[in-house]
Amino acid sequence: MIPIINDDRRAIVEMRNIAKTFGSTRALRGVDFTVMRGEVHALLGRNGAGKSTLVSTISGFTPADSGTIRVADTVVTANAQNYAAKIREGIAHVQQTPQLFNLLTVAENLFLESPKVRGRFGAVSHARTLAMTKELLHTWAIDIRADALVGELDAGTRQLLEIIKALSRGVPVMILDEPTAALSNAEKKILFEQVRALKAQGVSFVYISHHLDEIFEIADVVTILRDGQVVRAREPVAGLDVDTIADLMMGKKTLRSSREDHTRGEQPVLIRARGVRIGPRSEQTLDFEVRAGEIVALAGPVGGGKEALAMILAGQRHPAEGHIDSPRGLMPKIGLVPTDRHASGYVGLLGVRENVVIGGLDVLSNHFGFISKRAEVRHAERLAQKTHVVSSSLEQPVSQLSGGNQQKVVFARALCRDPDIVIALSPTRGVDVGAKEQLYALLRDLASQGLGVVVVSDEEDEIAQLANRVVIVFDDEVKDQLLGNYTIKDLVLRMEGVL
Amino acid sequence: MSTQMVSDSKLVNPAQGRSKWAQFGTSFVADGYTMYPVILLLVIIGSIVAPRFATTTNLINILEQISVLGLTTIGLTFVVLIGRLDLSLEGVVGFAPMFAAAALVPAVAGGFGLELPGWMGLIVALGVAGAIGWFNGFMVVKVGLNPFISTLGLLVLLRGGVLIISNGRSIYSPGKALTFLGSEKILGVPLAVFVFLAVAAVVGVIFKYHRYGRALYAIGGNEEAARAAGINVDRVIWSAFVFAALLAGLAGVMMTGRLDSAVTTQGQGIIFSAFAAAVIGGVSLGGGRGTIVGVVSGVLLIGVINNLLTLAQVPSFYVQASTGAVIIVAAVLTTIASRRSSGVKTRT
Repeated sequence: MIPIINDDRRAIVEMRNIAKTFGSTRALRGVDFTVMRGEVHALLGRNGAGKSTLVSTISGFTPADSGTIRVADTVVTANAQNYAAKIREGIAHVQQTPQLFNLLTVAENLFLESPKVRGRFGAVSHARTLAMTKELLHTWAIDIRADALVGELDAGTRQLLEIIKALSRGVPVMILDEPTAALSNAEKKILFEQVRALKAQGVSFVYISHHLDEIFEIADVVTILRDGQVVRAREPVAGLDVDTIADLMMGKKTLRSSREDHTRGEQPVLIRARGVRIGPRSEQTLDFEVRAGEIVALAGPVGGGKEALAMILAGQRHPAEGHIDSPRGLMPKIGLVPTDRHASGYVGLLGVRENVVIGGLDVLSNHFGFISKRAEVRHAERLAQKTHVVSSSLEQPVSQLSGGNQQKVVFARALCRDPDIVIALSPTRGVDVGAKEQLYALLRDLASQGLGVVVVSDEEDEIAQLANRVVIVFDDEVKDQLLGNYTIKDLVLRMEGVL
Repeated sequence: MSTQMVSDSKLVNPAQGRSKWAQFGTSFVADGYTMYPVILLLVIIGSIVAPRFATTTNLINILEQISVLGLTTIGLTFVVLIGRLDLSLEGVVGFAPMFAAAALVPAVAGGFGLELPGWMGLIVALGVAGAIGWFNGFMVVKVGLNPFISTLGLLVLLRGGVLIISNGRSIYSPGKALTFLGSEKILGVPLAVFVFLAVAAVVGVIFKYHRYGRALYAIGGNEEAARAAGINVDRVIWSAFVFAALLAGLAGVMMTGRLDSAVTTQGQGIIFSAFAAAVIGGVSLGGGRGTIVGVVSGVLLIGVINNLLTLAQVPSFYVQASTGAVIIVAAVLTTIASRRSSGVKTRT
């Protein structure tokens, strides 16, 4: 193959003034982004800085609101309409979670909708599909059958397949969004070899990763985003170090409110996990306890096990080993704010009152299970006020409320049975700034009343504003702990897996 | 998800500019009163066209006719509220009283030869019904079958079962203890009507003011949210199947009482009328929405229409076809009304 000339002056991807808004969140505010031929361009930034949104606007997966995008020879002026089909020939986007068909074979997945295996009248050649798949698997040195069902494969292999599928399309630009999250070290090595080989042929990569060491290993240049804006464009990676990158990623952000410490001396332990193994992949068991009056955050990479640990504490999931108990004997009452309020938070058909009350049906009903309407209304009203729910009436269906108000209803429900511990997963996801502050104030207030508060979050700011103690969880194990006066930099570096 | 927002423009704070009338409309629909004006209209039209319609005898007759369907529909509502369905209720209506009758009567009259004492009749029938419901719940909760297929299978099985235990012959006069619910009259009004109304009242209160009812609505609206709120979702689902079957068993006993015999074809087709009545009454097949007030209106509507068409001497083939048409029209009305009033779209 004749290598495409690497020093082509014209960029392969050129984006000008890209803007994207989700509801009240301005995810991208006028971003310029350029990718040259044959380079690996790393995109860095903290959670919520706009990395994934930016690459999604390149591929058209999430159409940008405004700005211009050029990929190879196709120019698109964005106006929030779908343009993915126009640039499909120029770009492949591997997303964080594999988009594969579990009930189809490896070969069928790799060559679905591919013209290479299609004959006349749309007939698909089975033999050719299998042969081409075997060849691909051989190049990548993956030892699986071409006719194995994808659903049977482990997460790492599926992630690799997703990447192979994208790479085998022969497009000039590849987006890899957290490609190594599920890969073993050996698989990672294979991936990097392939990336280097394709790069030598002139293919360009946009690379997002939470592991800075990977960036130093594979990337040529780095662009750093913060709050939807570019803070450093096209910096050669050779001139950077971890500290500089961390500083650039964080900026001098002023906190809107700061954490308070309500742990005076030795508070009693409310609940503890003893000898718990979260999942089969963890080698060590862990011990973890929650004390009265503290806000403890569980932090770490996505899929690292922090949610699972919280759900085990909440009694919603069984650990692979070990058990949860309380030194007081009686198990404490737990109020749970689940991670995705649409999937498992509120009941959209029901009004605010009914939503709040389902959190405490046992405490609000009498011996025969009947609920006094008057007591119920009073209770729901009090909780709705405490959580600052704004609705036209207590009977308004929760599906009609704004995201922030829906989340407050979920908090009110969690508080309905007067819990001793509140476990909140992603407590302010998709919530506007005002509501965020109200929820933070609520959590601090609960801690000051002597409740134990457990927060699971991906946002460093959130953790830094709330938590007196941070427990870092990844690979289903407790890796580290931050106590008392930690800085946000300590936090970011640990959450990025650097320290 | 069975619900979604209709459009963003509709969401602009509904509190603003909401008149008393709009609020009244919302709760009128939400509480299940949508169909009552339609029924009233039909009654007025009916009394004008058919003079025999508005007589006490005829009205009581309608109530007696709908009480079996009514109990079955209330039973069905338990499972539909949690977003499931139970086709086997139709089988229970036929099987439970047949089993009880066969346990009571002597072998020469087509029984098992057990000849249980008469007072056991109702207990045996409800016991059998409860056991069938328990089995349905087990299949759905523990085995994880889709209730459509598991209860469909059971429906066919029970239909065959009726023929097996009865040897293909109906059992006549199974005894007072089994038939009094469907045949006795108090002050000229059949006991069946009182049973239906009493069950409707009790279940209505449970749905609205009991924690069990709240759990049903929560699970139907969002099962995962109900779980996260600490509701024992599996137990509620399981028990809903048991309650549904118990009510269908009671309905079957009342039917046997009215006919003074356990008939082999008893209950055939009732599950379709029950679904129709539930949907007309505003119960969402997606779960989470529906009231007993509404269910009763659906049952009443079907009863009144059938009665009117019969009185008007419409040929029976047309009765069936027009009932079907009415079901569709009523379902459209209910859906539009609930969408208009709450802005929440339901999949009926």
